[in-house]
Amino acid sequence: MNIENIKKQFPIFNNKVHNNDLVYLDSANSSQKPQVVVDRIYDFYTKEFSNVGRSVHYLAVAATNLYEETRSLVQKYINAKDPNEIVFTKGATEAINLVANTFGQKFLKEGDEIILTELEHHSNYVPWHYLRRSKGVQIKFAEINSDGEISLESIQKLISPKTKMIAITHLSNVTGAILPIKEITRLAHSKNIPILIDGCQGAPHLRIDMQEIGCDFYAISCHKMYGPTGLGILYAKKKWLEALPPYQGGGGMISEVKKDGITFGDLPNKYEAGTMATAQVIAFAESIKFLNQIGIKNIEKHENELTKYGEEVLRKNNSVTLVGNPKNKGSVLSFTLDGIHAHDIATILDEDGVAIRAGHHCCQILHDKLGLAATARASLGIYNTREDIDKLNESINKCKKIFNK
Amino acid sequence: MDLKELYQEIILDHGKNPRNLRKTENFNKDAKGHNPLCGDKVHVYLKLDEDKKVQDISFEGQGCAISMASASIMTDLVKGKEEHEVKEIVQDFLEMIKKKDKLNNKILEENEKTKLMCLSGVKKYPMRVKCATLSWHTLTSAIDNTQEEINSENID
Ligand SMILES: Cc1ncc(COP(=O)(O)O)c(C=O)c1O
Repeated sequence: MNIENIKKQFPIFNNKVHNNDLVYLDSANSSQKPQVVVDRIYDFYTKEFSNVGRSVHYLAVAATNLYEETRSLVQKYINAKDPNEIVFTKGATEAINLVANTFGQKFLKEGDEIILTELEHHSNYVPWHYLRRSKGVQIKFAEINSDGEISLESIQKLISPKTKMIAITHLSNVTGAILPIKEITRLAHSKNIPILIDGCQGAPHLRIDMQEIGCDFYAISCHKMYGPTGLGILYAKKKWLEALPPYQGGGGMISEVKKDGITFGDLPNKYEAGTMATAQVIAFAESIKFLNQIGIKNIEKHENELTKYGEEVLRKNNSVTLVGNPKNKGSVLSFTLDGIHAHDIATILDEDGVAIRAGHHCCQILHDKLGLAATARASLGIYNTREDIDKLNESINKCKKIFNK
Repeated sequence: MDLKELYQEIILDHGKNPRNLRKTENFNKDAKGHNPLCGDKVHVYLKLDEDKKVQDISFEGQGCAISMASASIMTDLVKGKEEHEVKEIVQDFLEMIKKKDKLNNKILEENEKTKLMCLSGVKKYPMRVKCATLSWHTLTSAIDNTQEEINSENID
């Protein structure tokens, strides 16, 4: 696999940042977009645009078919049983809110318990927190170990007869820890507890197979998967989508509307109220094709090697401390630098065209636990190379020089 | 080069060894500030005497070099000033950081103004302006006794 050729497919790298080549190390935040995805959006708007699922004219039918084609592609990509188990949302955030809201409405009552982990992104905590307020449910956090991992036992310990949902990340966007989601799913199901996986960081980097994992819900963020912004995916087992109430009300999701009552439409329309992010959905088909063309096995292999290389290089740099040390680690390298705040690091690196993220990465619970106000994070994508890691390290050394460290 | 302007020696010095990083005993005014985007926190303590003069000012908190240096320089400069003078300096500083080329107040000495102008390097880094202004907004809140935590996302 030739990474330089893959990188060439991303037009962003034709631009300079502060007169330097761009070293993009912020893919956990959002990935860059290949030309085919950008072109697809342009082509759709210039040649094929119509709203979907409403009109019977030529353009509407064609657009509807394209829209549904993406659904089928996604279904195959994640090996869901049924295309109707794929719901488009505005992002992973909305996907999780959808589940928390509808599941909470129908199945939760005061005193019920939800298990999360200390690794969760605010997107997989705040929606459940609402239920704490509206329903009086309790939230328990499975604790990380000293390597920043979540073990099966840490979750097992918290399960009680009152546990009604387990919602956990697939791959931590801070420590990079990959959770044993298959085992946790087996555990949950052995106690009849449904499980939601926040797959924002899992889906772009790892092979995911819904039937093999067996989870009830899996949330995906398309903009982190070389796809457009404004789009996410909720995978949910059909039995849940049938059992849960609709989330938002509006056009497209109804069956019959009378003055004295409304019946709701069938799947998948039930959860796709209003005009959806049509162009984004249609362009996302190109992201899936792009991923398929490279092959997720190759992506995993490349990113794994690069993550290991990154760990090695940063460990050798004696002022750098990596955040977490999980054995099973995905493409995230969070770190601190002795005596230099993450924001100063990010500003100095930026001057060299090295784009990283600094802050708590929407994981304040984790940062509090680690006793860190902020960390710097370099996260990888398919276009990154060893040279990028070397440039990162060089710029870190420049920080040290500026701060006389 | 812009980076050198941002991280001037004086900023690095105050960032590394912040002055007045402690809690004033018997403070009579205080306020907290918080930047939810980066997690920076600051708590400013003031002790005003009967004539409303700043007898002591201090701060606690953690943050980047810019925010620590800004709080450090701020506390150094407003000590001994009268409350209305402090407000004027804060106003002048905030206007300078946002748009003006220089400080216009007649309260600070020239060398003090030069010191404060070292922070003007952030103007080229819009994302970092809040790092420099958080402690100043928090000081205003302490003086006005608003009892409200300053959230850098809700100020401009
Ligand atoms: C682990 C995790 N969960 C949830 C989200 C939110 O995803 P989205 O931007 O699609 O709403 C993110 C992205 O920032 C994330 O990294």
